[in-house]
Amino acid sequence: MKESLLEILCCPLDKNDLELEDAEYDDSSEDSEILSGTLVCTACGERYPIEDGIPNLLPPDMREESPA
Amino acid sequence: MDLAARRGLETDVYQPAEDSQLLAQTAGDRLDKLEQRLERYGDAPSDRLRVLEVGTGSGYVADQIATETEARVVAADLNPHAVKQARERGLEAVRADLVSPFSDGSFDAVVFNPPYLPTDPDHEWDDWMERALSGGEDGRAVIDPFLERVARVLAPDGIVLLLVSSLTGVDAVVETAGEAGFSAAAVADESFPFETLTILELYQ
Repeated sequence: MKESLLEILCCPLDKNDLELEDAEYDDSSEDSEILSGTLVCTACGERYPIEDGIPNLLPPDMREESPA
Repeated sequence: MDLAARRGLETDVYQPAEDSQLLAQTAGDRLDKLEQRLERYGDAPSDRLRVLEVGTGSGYVADQIATETEARVVAADLNPHAVKQARERGLEAVRADLVSPFSDGSFDAVVFNPPYLPTDPDHEWDDWMERALSGGEDGRAVIDPFLERVARVLAPDGIVLLLVSSLTGVDAVVETAGEAGFSAAAVADESFPFETLTILELYQ
């Protein structure tokens, strides 16, 4: 994900701002995309992973892989 | 190997069909008009329309919008396989439940081809394709919560482009949209043997 995406993302639970931690960047891309890291809610502290460049902002109770 | 796999059919991610094409064409046209209305022609990043596609699936509609307009397009889906396909197309992908992780007033337009087929609860097939197609018993199990929540993420003068089938009931969707504070206009429709697809443009 592009770092500028952070401006329009928020915690899905309480809509507060997210802070980026442990970011690893793809140096090969022009605008240095974030490939992995963690987005942390500045209010409730809930943590959301970024994996393979995709932030997973599902609420924690929906995070399991199975569709059911 | 199950039947779908033997036939070579995709079971994890909904692939573009007639509904996707109608939504993509209509969105390109309506976003051009929105851009003119908002007088956002400049090259500065702040002048670009911001568009969210909810339930992007393969990313086809979002990709078409990104190609045909100047908009910055974000593609969201619940399904991990879908966001992966969307990212492989070069889209900005976010795994999300409807609009829940997006900040207030972030988008000039939200586009959604929802799961809308009315489904017998005893015959749901419980995989990602079912989540992409089934709208529950009345076909509106996903559309209704979407309509309740989408206004929060829209910028002033923002619009929603929502695909609705005659199988789901356009009037019922318009009524729910009205309860959520939206006016609705049908901006495109296309008839098929078993259903008519309508694109509703919702505005506040």
